[in-house]
Amino acid sequence: MGRLTAHLPMALRLLLVKADGSVSVHTDGGAYKPLNWMSPPCTVVEQPGRWTVTNRAGEQLIIEIDEVVHDSRHELGVDPGLVKDGVEAHLQALLAEHTATLGPGFTLIRREYPTAIGPVDLLCRDAEGVIVAVEIKRRGEIDGVEQLTRYLNLLNRDPQLAPVRGVFAAQQIKPQAHTLATDRGIRCVTVDYDELRGTESLELRLF
Amino acid sequence: MVGNVEFELERDAFAEAIAWTAKGLPARPVVPVTAGVVLEVTDGAMIVSGFDFEVLNRIEVPVTDKAAGRVLVSGRLLAEIARALPPKDVRVVVEGNRLVVRCGSVRFNLPLLHIEDYPAVPVLPATSGKVRGDVFATAVAQVTAAASRDETLPMLTGVRMEIGPEALILAATDRYRLAERHIPWTPTGTVPSTSLIVPAKTLADVAKSLGSASEVVLSMGDADDAGFLGFSAGGRQTLTRLLDGEFVKFASLWPTAVTTTVEVQVSEFVAALKRVALVAQRFAPVRLAFSEDTVQLSAEAEDESSAEEELEVGVTGEPLTIGFNAGYLLDGLAAVTTPRATLSFTEPSKPTVITPVTGLGADDPDDARDGSYRYLVMSMRLRG
Repeated sequence: MGRLTAHLPMALRLLLVKADGSVSVHTDGGAYKPLNWMSPPCTVVEQPGRWTVTNRAGEQLIIEIDEVVHDSRHELGVDPGLVKDGVEAHLQALLAEHTATLGPGFTLIRREYPTAIGPVDLLCRDAEGVIVAVEIKRRGEIDGVEQLTRYLNLLNRDPQLAPVRGVFAAQQIKPQAHTLATDRGIRCVTVDYDELRGTESLELRLF
Repeated sequence: MVGNVEFELERDAFAEAIAWTAKGLPARPVVPVTAGVVLEVTDGAMIVSGFDFEVLNRIEVPVTDKAAGRVLVSGRLLAEIARALPPKDVRVVVEGNRLVVRCGSVRFNLPLLHIEDYPAVPVLPATSGKVRGDVFATAVAQVTAAASRDETLPMLTGVRMEIGPEALILAATDRYRLAERHIPWTPTGTVPSTSLIVPAKTLADVAKSLGSASEVVLSMGDADDAGFLGFSAGGRQTLTRLLDGEFVKFASLWPTAVTTTVEVQVSEFVAALKRVALVAQRFAPVRLAFSEDTVQLSAEAEDESSAEEELEVGVTGEPLTIGFNAGYLLDGLAAVTTPRATLSFTEPSKPTVITPVTGLGADDPDDARDGSYRYLVMSMRLRG
């Protein structure tokens, strides 16, 4: 009895009651999408053969239970969070380890070099000893180039650091971003994440 | 300038000229006026051209001219109109700010676009030399197959054209394969040896549209108008902007020592390869195991489907088992125009060279003509 009055016929279902109070009715299919559900906060009133789930708006999910096939309770504890593979943080760590990927003779000064407008991903020194600010992205687009340009403007005002060059490193660089970067004197480096990570690819290259 | 363009010509010639130019127009023009075609009438000819800052297409058709001038109209609309006209003579005239197209009892009015806003177009450089149309078309098709389509490395989306005294050497690579082909050519006077990078897609389009002519004229110009390369044949001209940068040094990639050579009947080998590749997933290799006089082709997928086929081939040298991306191997074999081809191997982790077997049919001029084609293809690692 919610925004939409719907009715599910009696059938074998999986009922999930989570620690946050949410209740969902699943069928034997669909990865994450229940047939019907009530988001928290809500209250569950258990009566024999009938659950009534009510949320703050007064909407109700009424479940008639004819037979319980299986009933169990598990504590999942604190969620460590989803760790995504291939995110910029990992690329940054890998590039910090393999600075030569960015250019021959590159050495790392530090990761996350703080500036007034945010941290620069990597601050390096090139073979000639010139300081290089490196911006790392998964997908190199125009906004990344703009971000690096802002850092470079700021860093170049510091007589201790200037001149500072820029390197824009990404797994893929959009042609427009490449053009903009080149126009601003920023060098673009396309990074092969799998190669850096040492994953063996079946594909071999001529060069 | 809005001229008083007025001319007459036959319907098919008109439709063909407009269609050819309109096909090269950009789908999403950078500047709206570049979606237009320029109609120019001078001295008994109609010149239709389109330009998108990268490529200029220009076609000249003889007409009965009544008034010279130059106007700009929507390319797509004019092409659709031209195609739909009945088979009668076409009369085109500018009336006020409209282009009027009459054909029999049909009359179309098209608004003129502002030709003052049209960008300056490059001028065709002086002629540098000629190539045979059919040879050019074949060679371009053979080489462009290996060019990269990945815009992130613009240089690899081009074909390198080396200008020699007697031949042009075309080469393209996408890091996984490399195709090379020589084309005999006749330079006009002395042309300095140099090399250019021509966008592969444009080159392929040019070869398709001009390849049926007996001769294609190349115009490279000199240092002053460098940056563009022109192709012309039969009243059609295409000028393309060249790619900057230096091409990959590929000469050293060709293997020098060969341990196994295999001669295959191309159509038979291609058919077997296509069959076996059906079960190989996109990035999975097809395995080729060469022993005395046979090759065992096999592939398997993670879901345990598999395919096998055995074929008789002529093997010289050591037995060898090697993996390939079937698509890359097929592209190279498809470009072989002779009935038989040679595959030269060094070792499983090294690239393989595909070359046509020439001289079998001594009377077939194709043999000698395509003998210079060679295709280098990188192998793939085999699991386990």
